[in-house]
Amino acid sequence: MFIEYSEEQTMLRDSAEKYLRDNYTFERRQAVVNSEQGFSKEAWQTFADLGWLAMTFREESGGFGGGALETLLLCEQFGKYLVVEPYLESIVLVGGLIEAGAHPSVREEYLGRLLSGELQGAPAYLESANVADPLRVETTAQPFGGGFLINGSKTVVVNGPEADLFLVSARTGGTTANSRQGISLFLLERETPGLSWKNYKTYDGRSACELQLHNVKVDAESVVGRIGDAYKFSAPIMSRAIVAVCAEAVGAMDALLSATVEYSKQRKQFGQPISRFQVLRHRMADMYMEVELTRSLLLATAWKLDSGAPDAQQCLIALKAKVGKAGRFVAHNAIQLHGGIGTTDELSVGHYFKRLAAIGVMFGSRDSYLARYFQS
Amino acid sequence: MSDEEFRGEVRAFLEQALTKEIRRAGELMTSVFADFDATMAWHKILHARGWIAPDWPEAYGGTGWSLNQRYIFQEECKLANAPALLPMGLQMLGPMLIHYGTEEQKNYYLPRILSGEDVWCQGYSEPGAGSDLASLTTSAVRDGDDYVINGSKIWTSYAQHSNRIFCLVRTSKEGPPQAGISFILVDMDARGLTVDPIVGLDGTVEQCQVFFEDVRVPAANLVGAENQGWEVAKYLLEFERGGHNFTIDHKKQMAKIMRQANSQYGPDHNLWINNPVFRAKFADVAVDALALEFTELRIKGDLQAGGNPGALSSLTKVMGTEIGQRFNELSLEVMGDHALVKQLDALTPGYDGEVIGPLCGLTTMAEYINNRAATIYGGSAEIQRDIIAKRVLGL
Ligand SMILES: Cc1cc2nc3c(=O)[nH]c(=O)nc-3n(C[C@H](O)[C@H](O)[C@H](O)COP(=O)(O)OP(=O)(O)OC[C@H]3O[C@@H](n4cnc5c(N)ncnc54)[C@H](O)[C@@H]3O)c2cc1C
Repeated sequence: MFIEYSEEQTMLRDSAEKYLRDNYTFERRQAVVNSEQGFSKEAWQTFADLGWLAMTFREESGGFGGGALETLLLCEQFGKYLVVEPYLESIVLVGGLIEAGAHPSVREEYLGRLLSGELQGAPAYLESANVADPLRVETTAQPFGGGFLINGSKTVVVNGPEADLFLVSARTGGTTANSRQGISLFLLERETPGLSWKNYKTYDGRSACELQLHNVKVDAESVVGRIGDAYKFSAPIMSRAIVAVCAEAVGAMDALLSATVEYSKQRKQFGQPISRFQVLRHRMADMYMEVELTRSLLLATAWKLDSGAPDAQQCLIALKAKVGKAGRFVAHNAIQLHGGIGTTDELSVGHYFKRLAAIGVMFGSRDSYLARYFQS
Repeated sequence: MSDEEFRGEVRAFLEQALTKEIRRAGELMTSVFADFDATMAWHKILHARGWIAPDWPEAYGGTGWSLNQRYIFQEECKLANAPALLPMGLQMLGPMLIHYGTEEQKNYYLPRILSGEDVWCQGYSEPGAGSDLASLTTSAVRDGDDYVINGSKIWTSYAQHSNRIFCLVRTSKEGPPQAGISFILVDMDARGLTVDPIVGLDGTVEQCQVFFEDVRVPAANLVGAENQGWEVAKYLLEFERGGHNFTIDHKKQMAKIMRQANSQYGPDHNLWINNPVFRAKFADVAVDALALEFTELRIKGDLQAGGNPGALSSLTKVMGTEIGQRFNELSLEVMGDHALVKQLDALTPGYDGEVIGPLCGLTTMAEYINNRAATIYGGSAEIQRDIIAKRVLGL
């Protein structure tokens, strides 16, 4: 297997890297994170203007036809520069699902505005009964006057406070609370009567909310994908989202490794740079190996997903499990080798660590993927 | 009194003495420190009962308990969610003053540590001197009856709450670096001393940087002789490392993870407690924790027989902190996305508003984040392994 990027792909990576390096400094990032609004309007608009938001959408949707590889190239840079803007939530998930299965009139109404940065979306699929299992849906959608009546609540809705649109999972059928059949997705505008929320921040610098749905009336056209088929229908988009966070993780690990190597050369103890201590040299060599192994799995997975390889899912499961382990190893040791300064809010190191911790649990933790890897 | 009778007495006391608010502060601990006000309230209650310093000799205010009784007391306090007491005065400075202090120093400072009137912080580390502590450069120059101190200390835990700081300062540049260090007690109100808070990864302040600009301190505040500070500090470090009982922390962590795993669902809508991967991982850490428990008991036995744990205290520091971190990781996996919610206000004991997500996950992420420091402070894991290699293995 040899992956060669096309000229366009190389350009995308380089331009993302250059733009973020020059403009998305850690100081600016922190200013955004500590502000009331959880993202920078200006940065988001630029991402749209540079064509990043539309990159992986079909041409007839106003996109550039990119696939998992393009998602990877962008998200790796987002990880490297600790971008907090909701690319994953608004574009990969909500945008991706609308493109894949929204009613044509709904798609017409919203997709262009999402990709131009005018609107934002938030996927609301987690429920507090079980955050590890997206099948555990207790929110119900009952037929009601040609449409549906939705009742329930969602937890840790990332980007919820900024979202104009919520994509909510609800049970329209299915015999047990965690049956694969019978889950449907609904697209709701924030103004829809019956929605209420409580906003908060997350440890990795995002904004999120708890979302309550009380007798929320929606029409039949707001169903995204076929009724009762959300699990199967959303699988390819979920795969893409997992590639996105894993690419972000690789970017973050890469940044941590460079920062640690740099710091170890400057920091002197016992009259010499700490990079001279063999135990630390070996640790950094181990960090390097973890980053590169993860990168290989990431590239292979994206490539296999794009080319429809039969073992793509197996690779994806392996990738998420590997990111859980490698992300932790690299982040823990980056802090360890920085010593006290690594435990402060002032340095970026700790913020990469917290993002990696979040990615580790998102879409299920390492343990659940190990179990699935064995089964597959 | 049998150990079990003693345990009963401690329990009965804790039952009535620990107020709801103080207990809450213990439950909400996300680092080695608890909420300051609750900690000091608890300190005063223990002081009133005469149980504030079980490890001190009876003549200085200790309880005269056996090692077993002291262990039982620690364990019962922890399991009842009493907030951890601040170790800087009780565990570090106190024993050191008892050993090295003058009569005047002992008479003045020890009762104030016991009563909680003085709150001490530890001024050792500097921006340029962490693992290599002996390279410290904060200087104290003799001027008449005073020393004049210039320089800076960093990572000083709870300096923002302290009225006194004990410092290692450089009094001589002659000879090896260890030979020019002195140990001095400084009043935080002194002119020229300022404290800058450092925000930690969880968004709260526990450490500070302390600056000294021509701070005058009476020469009588020196502990031990001039340039003898390194020896004094080494004595104290042994207390810092060896004095901690990790097994008690681990038991509390295990109990918490069990509560989490019994209430949270994992893949396939199985309670985590029934998940084979979780069980294997938990058992793996628990086995190491058990081995450490027996190692700590061995050390206790050695101490009882009048021996010295020596480098075994490095072993317990490395293993104790690393096992604790592995438990934190398990907790994080079990709590999953719930752990991402940042609610600092709900982590303060007086809070009576709404809590988002399961209560058992409220502290998970902050504990995981903050506990990374455990393998850095008090001699890093690398430095401890070096000590084992040198002192035990003779390498
Ligand atoms: C939460 C927290 C609370 C603290 N509280 C206090 C306090 O109250 N008072 C106080 O005085 N200090 C305190 N400290 C400081 C603590 O003691 C120092 O952080 C510690 O000594 C390490 O020093 P450093 O941070 O400068 O790291 P460095 O010494 O710069 O170490 C950086 C890395 O290099 C490694 N390293 C260094 N030398 C060697 C070697 N020879 N061989 C192999 N590896 C090596 C270290 O293990 C580490 O991984 C606290 C620190 C933290 C994080």
